[in-house]
Amino acid sequence: MSTQDIIKEGNKVYERPRLLTENITHYCPGCAHGVVHKLVAEVIDDLGLEDKTIGISPVGCSVFAYNYIDVDWVEAAHGRATAVATAISRLNPDKVVFTYQGDGDLAAIGTAETIHAANRGENIVIVFINNAIYGMTGGQMAPTTLIGQKTSTTPYGRRADLNGFPIKIADILAQLDGTCYVTRQQVYNPAGVRKTKAALKKAFQNALAKKGTSIVEVVSNCPSGWKMTPEKANEWLKEHMTEKYPLGDIKDTDGVNK
Amino acid sequence: MDEEVRLMKGNEAIAHAAIRYGYDGYFGYPITPQSEVLETLEAEMPWEKTGMVVLQAESEVAAINMIYGGAASGKAVMTSSSSPGISLKMEGISYIAASELPAVILNVMRGGPGLGTIQPSQADYFQATKGGGHGDYRLIVLSPASVQEMADFVGLAKDLAFKYCNPVMILADGIVGQMMEKVVLPPYHPRRTDEEVRQQCPWAANGKGGRKQRNIITSLELDPSKMEVNNERFQATYKKIEENEVRYEEFMCDDAEYLIVAFGTVARICRKAIEEMRARGIKIGLIRPITLWPFPTKAIEELSKRVKGMLCVELNAGQMIEDVKLAVDGRVPVYHFGRMGGIVPTPDEVEAAFQKDFPEAENK
Repeated sequence: MSTQDIIKEGNKVYERPRLLTENITHYCPGCAHGVVHKLVAEVIDDLGLEDKTIGISPVGCSVFAYNYIDVDWVEAAHGRATAVATAISRLNPDKVVFTYQGDGDLAAIGTAETIHAANRGENIVIVFINNAIYGMTGGQMAPTTLIGQKTSTTPYGRRADLNGFPIKIADILAQLDGTCYVTRQQVYNPAGVRKTKAALKKAFQNALAKKGTSIVEVVSNCPSGWKMTPEKANEWLKEHMTEKYPLGDIKDTDGVNK
Repeated sequence: MDEEVRLMKGNEAIAHAAIRYGYDGYFGYPITPQSEVLETLEAEMPWEKTGMVVLQAESEVAAINMIYGGAASGKAVMTSSSSPGISLKMEGISYIAASELPAVILNVMRGGPGLGTIQPSQADYFQATKGGGHGDYRLIVLSPASVQEMADFVGLAKDLAFKYCNPVMILADGIVGQMMEKVVLPPYHPRRTDEEVRQQCPWAANGKGGRKQRNIITSLELDPSKMEVNNERFQATYKKIEENEVRYEEFMCDDAEYLIVAFGTVARICRKAIEEMRARGIKIGLIRPITLWPFPTKAIEELSKRVKGMLCVELNAGQMIEDVKLAVDGRVPVYHFGRMGGIVPTPDEVEAAFQKDFPEAENK
């Protein structure tokens, strides 16, 4: 088969998502943000939500998420994304609002905003990237850092007596009456990518149908912060992260009874 | 619905005015002495009348970030709090200013620092007019002296916020928040339709909705050369505001040899003192800055050329006096009289302070 035959429209099995901009990302090699961005862009397009979606980007590695997905965006202060999303969603009830946040943003500095937005059952999607480290600021301990895990502020490994325990925020959010869907997924292999996309799709559909708050946690990697090759990072994720943060749906309901 | 004459607290007037001036949303958190704003709004249920959203947030921090989000989507939004809560909002206010968004923040000041007292104060003047949050930004700061002005400034603040795409603070003291007076509430202004919001705020992040370009609201710019350009744009806006929006009130200034400078309800206490001193033949007047930023620098500068001295009366240790001294530039003596910690002076105390600072005025 010639190259001309291969690139025929009929043979096309994959293309760059239409809503993923052509900006070169600032993410490190092997980082999962790019994969999740792609999935979010695909889901927004698949559901026909390009014109009515507003994204809220956090402070952290994905602070510049607004450069990569072609919808309207608001960049929030550290931890405040769900408060920002609350107002936009309530003031624009025909729109779909999602936040895209990391573990430090969502589960440390923004814990109050996260819990109360979810507890109010705001009709929003929370995309939560858990890579157990502060990537943007240079690899410090996160609320989700595992016991024994080395970071720049736990150079000898996280100790429960000094640093407390890793927090399973998705499990906490699942306890709240305002959440309709809480799931934990991964994107280190194709099966995980497909499941994560299905989870994101369900979450966006829930927001559209005003079913309450949906949380999609993606257990993720940080090759730079973890000081591993991308391949090693994914192996470490599989071995250690998913033990503490088991994959699968934590809560799946027909919607919040408000 | 037409305008309506009512007897109510300043805080209640704020709530009614927000509904009547067509605000889209209010997000707040209880704190004394301003909780009546949220309470009145919840009792009025404006979501059933005008569609206005009212929400009790989990904290002042959440409330100001809700305001940031609402403003980012082009909506007319407001929050309120009192001094300690306003401190918590400062980060968000800096973001709103840096993102060039219209928003209205009410501070019903109480005595500080720290948890302080729930009694009235004007000790947040520096915080409101000089920054408070980080970075080179300015708030338009309105100082109401009556329940009527509380209501009126809700409308004025909204207009100014959208005119300049800049946050506006209504800096009230606890007295005007809590006292009851006659007030003429404005007629109902309809809220803008979503189409009108899109026309008025083409920059808003409210869904592309057929726009070719996406809208991004952010205060982040890592390239210092671009960030400097952003700052230059902010400063150009502030210059325009300084040129166009200075507001103040003069009382018995025409033949005045001495001047009291006071803002908010303190100005009303001073008016009483001035009336008493005038009755004794002392030629004294009052200038009341209504915009604390932009400050009526030129008006005070002009007055300083024809009076013998000024007395600044404030519910603090001496904050506005710094701006007065900059305007006077050493031409005449400027003294301060203030009570702190929630104490409000009587007209007699103001008079006594004046006599102490300007004994020659009395002996004439």
